[in-house]
Amino acid sequence: MSLFDATAHAFGLLFSGDAALWRIIWVSIKTSVIGLLLATPPAVLLGYAIAMHRFPGRRIAIWLAQCALSLPTVLIGLLLYLLLSRRGPLGPLEWLFSQSGIIAGQFVVGLPVLLAFTLAAVQALDPRYAETARALGASRWRIMSTVLHEARYGVMAAVISGFGRVISEVGCALMVGGNIEGETRTITTAIALETSKGEFAQGIALGIVLVALALLMNGALMLLQGEAHTAGGRA
Amino acid sequence: MRPLLTVRGLVKRHGERLLFDIDELTLETASAYVLTGANGVGKSTLLRALAGLEPVQAGAVEFEGKPVSLHPYPQALRRAIVYVHQHPVMFSTSVAQNIGYGLVARGEPRARVAAVVEEAMDWAGVAYLRGTDPARLSGGEKQRVALARARVLQPRLLLLDEPTSNLDGAAREQVIALIPTLMEQGTTVVMACHDRDLIGLPGVRRLKLRDGHLEYRPHKEKYEGEHDEAP
Repeated sequence: MSLFDATAHAFGLLFSGDAALWRIIWVSIKTSVIGLLLATPPAVLLGYAIAMHRFPGRRIAIWLAQCALSLPTVLIGLLLYLLLSRRGPLGPLEWLFSQSGIIAGQFVVGLPVLLAFTLAAVQALDPRYAETARALGASRWRIMSTVLHEARYGVMAAVISGFGRVISEVGCALMVGGNIEGETRTITTAIALETSKGEFAQGIALGIVLVALALLMNGALMLLQGEAHTAGGRA
Repeated sequence: MRPLLTVRGLVKRHGERLLFDIDELTLETASAYVLTGANGVGKSTLLRALAGLEPVQAGAVEFEGKPVSLHPYPQALRRAIVYVHQHPVMFSTSVAQNIGYGLVARGEPRARVAAVVEEAMDWAGVAYLRGTDPARLSGGEKQRVALARARVLQPRLLLLDEPTSNLDGAAREQVIALIPTLMEQGTTVVMACHDRDLIGLPGVRRLKLRDGHLEYRPHKEKYEGEHDEAP
């Protein structure tokens, strides 16, 4: 099958509402969004805390957060596999080869991205925002909400980058999810499998979905940042 | 006049460099002071230290006759002392929400916040900015909004860091006109500044930070002829 034929077939699959294909897309989006929703609060809190406070070992914490960004997802998958396997410490949860396992993987994969980007966004913010809030008598929590509000475009970029990382990773989802059709098969694991079988149409169709999602998310971020610039605010 | 804040043995170092070592500083209630000194001598740092925004290496502080610490900064001081930056930042909400920020942080009822903010907007002459994005305010407008934001908290001590620097013409005059009204409401005001018109305001006493030490100077003493250094 030529590239043109495969691409035409891919669009055919997408627009014909192929159930198996859309099930894969649904599993991918669902596990990525849940994993990201779970990772965002602790990552943002940690990123804020590291950015705003001086404590022994802070530089090491920043170094570890940045190192975690480049950790291969297949290694994260291997570690999670060992933790979740029947004889592992988290074996009783029975999350291996389930969507819960994939969500746990997305959590671990997404957390460093969210943390590192939030840390960078808060560090880049003018320190007078926090000082002004403190000088006006704000509590610690109010200072945090004020600072995160002022750094919101950076935090949004963190969330969007985190989503990009979790939805596009293949190693962890493959090892922990097991690529079970209709259950744990995600966009990336399906592309890997279909390509290995020489079935390019579904792989291309799923690739189109990934590209569309990337365009959509980053377009939304650009729009928000554009509004911030128009309003004279911080991006 | 009763002493509001007394500081003894206040030491600030940046690494090995001694920024200031103040034997004693007493600020009286309902009084106004200008803090002068050459650029980089530590005027802003002293104000920030008094506001609990800058750690110091040593110092004993009494507030209304009671000993207090600067680190950790007690809630009583936080409520009584407000610091305004040289270039105030505006939160990206609205002008009214900026002015009411401290009141909301203190848990004041919404109706009271709205009423106090309205009054403060009139006081600062910024009511016409009600619908303006705070990020679009000019330097003078930001300074007046920041003064209103501090005034609504009715601080006992207001620390103003170069309130008229980088302002000129009408913007500077508008800010200078607000200072005496702060003094009239019983707030002790300390202004780090070089502005001759602020230094010359009636009733304002002068403190000078030089070589790490604080000198009290009688009002306007020798000021007219001082051109050899920043005042």
